[in-house]
Amino acid sequence: MGQGIDLQRSFVELLTQLGLPSGAARAIWLPLPMTLILIAATVSIFVTVWLERKISAAAQQRIGPEYAGPLGTLQAAADGIKLLFKEDIVPSKADPILFTLGPALVVIPVFLSYLIVPFGQNMVITDIGVGIFLWIALSSITPIGLLMSGYSSNNKYSLLGGLRAAAQSISYEIPLALSVLAIVMMSNSLSTIDIVEQQAQYGILGWNVWRQPVGFLIFWVAALAECERLPFDLPEAEEELVAGYQTEYTGMKFGLFYVGSYVNLVLSALIFSVLYLGGWEFPVSVSWLASLLNVSETTPWLQVITAAIGIMMTVIKAYLLVFLAVLLRWTVPRVRIDQLLDLGWKFLLPVSLVNLLLTAALKITFPVAFGG
Amino acid sequence: MLNFLKQVGDYAKESVQAAKYIGQGLSVTFDHMSRRPVTVQYPYEKVIPSERYRGRIHFEFDKCISCEVCVRVCPINLPVVDWDFDKATKKKTLNHYSIDFGVCIFCGNCVEYCPTNCLSMTEEYEMAAYDRHELNYDNVAMGRLPYKVTQDPMVTPLREFAYLPDGVIDPHELPAGSRRAGKLPEEILAESQPAAEKAAD
Repeated sequence: MGQGIDLQRSFVELLTQLGLPSGAARAIWLPLPMTLILIAATVSIFVTVWLERKISAAAQQRIGPEYAGPLGTLQAAADGIKLLFKEDIVPSKADPILFTLGPALVVIPVFLSYLIVPFGQNMVITDIGVGIFLWIALSSITPIGLLMSGYSSNNKYSLLGGLRAAAQSISYEIPLALSVLAIVMMSNSLSTIDIVEQQAQYGILGWNVWRQPVGFLIFWVAALAECERLPFDLPEAEEELVAGYQTEYTGMKFGLFYVGSYVNLVLSALIFSVLYLGGWEFPVSVSWLASLLNVSETTPWLQVITAAIGIMMTVIKAYLLVFLAVLLRWTVPRVRIDQLLDLGWKFLLPVSLVNLLLTAALKITFPVAFGG
Repeated sequence: MLNFLKQVGDYAKESVQAAKYIGQGLSVTFDHMSRRPVTVQYPYEKVIPSERYRGRIHFEFDKCISCEVCVRVCPINLPVVDWDFDKATKKKTLNHYSIDFGVCIFCGNCVEYCPTNCLSMTEEYEMAAYDRHELNYDNVAMGRLPYKVTQDPMVTPLREFAYLPDGVIDPHELPAGSRRAGKLPEEILAESQPAAEKAAD
């Protein structure tokens, strides 16, 4: 590492030059990236909701939101304000504590997972060693929140929805973790930064898609199931369960579920692009281009450009995946609960296990190509 | 062992086939995204109802002879005809006439069978009301003519699909004077008339 732009070091250096002790400078730096990521995650909801509505409209030959802001971009803001001002109702026979705790428990892990999403070499809140494992661990908390809100609503539909959500999340966690494990095995690290670095050498050809095509598909299917996106949206299947565990919720508590689902979608897309599509890497290696033009990699302007390209590439890749998710939503019909569990346990799990073993075997046989 | 391998092979084949079908479906939805939206922005744009549109029924009080044919042909005997027999003229005089459009199914039987043509269909369809009893139209309400979509300055009238020129599918921004595909009824009539006269000679 070290060639990429390092905002933290520059910031701390600047403040120590101004006479602050380095500890204080670090403490001032600390909340900045967190707030930035929090804002970025919130803005990403606006973009995703807009994309979802516009792409859905286009796929159905409609126009979609048009009047709230230019091209309907402020529709999500309008929805949010409406939810904010709605009366907050707790059903009389519901458990008020669990009922309130549920949505919070769904949203917080999703936002926490942004800790490990890298947007550039040093552009990540914390490069902890167990990065990707933290994401898997945090995403296992969500079903508890869903179950909690479904059970505490004191409503059959909510309970069924919550149970389905828990069953679905638990059974798709395993193939997800196994396909991530194959990647981890290839990059010899759980850190998201290392995973991207390991894909960085040959531009687009070095990305993990080519080495893990099966894992790529399994991860995408499992991620869709984790986000409760349409082919797997049984927990809130409108036609059968009204809205599943969301049935009794109004106002900002419902808003939290809404926010959580969209942030989770963006998060999954981001993680997906980090694991399989080279994260912040440009299809052509930037460092290779720089050496071609005889520019040192530590040149400040090149660092800024690389950082900008990195953020852009991560976001573009993530939103391409969001687009694919929306398109899939209007293409694939919802599966039944038994089909869902069949797919999870009888298809994805064995296939991902075979994929893991195959990766291990290939790693021993071709250590050059599979990160020996 | 061979049987097991065959099973695995079949399963793999099925999976590939399923993936292929999903791909086909995706290409269909993707293709739809490049098509023009068919939306009519309703309160600002409205489709011009066709000439045979069965909207709210219009009633001409003075033409009615209180024969109650409309009541008899109505599937649910809906029209209410309130008349008195005038002994001096030995004729019925109509006092009130009403149809409840909250119950009417707009089948048009009454219009079809009315001997004096005092009933007719209009192109009005916006009859939303806060109370269902407001939909019970009396002879005064039924005597009103609806506002034409083409004459409303607030509304952009759009033609229906069948009234568009040949090959056009989007009603927006049609050139002025563009005609629908095929001939108008009066043109067909004018063409057939000379032929009929010749045949008569």
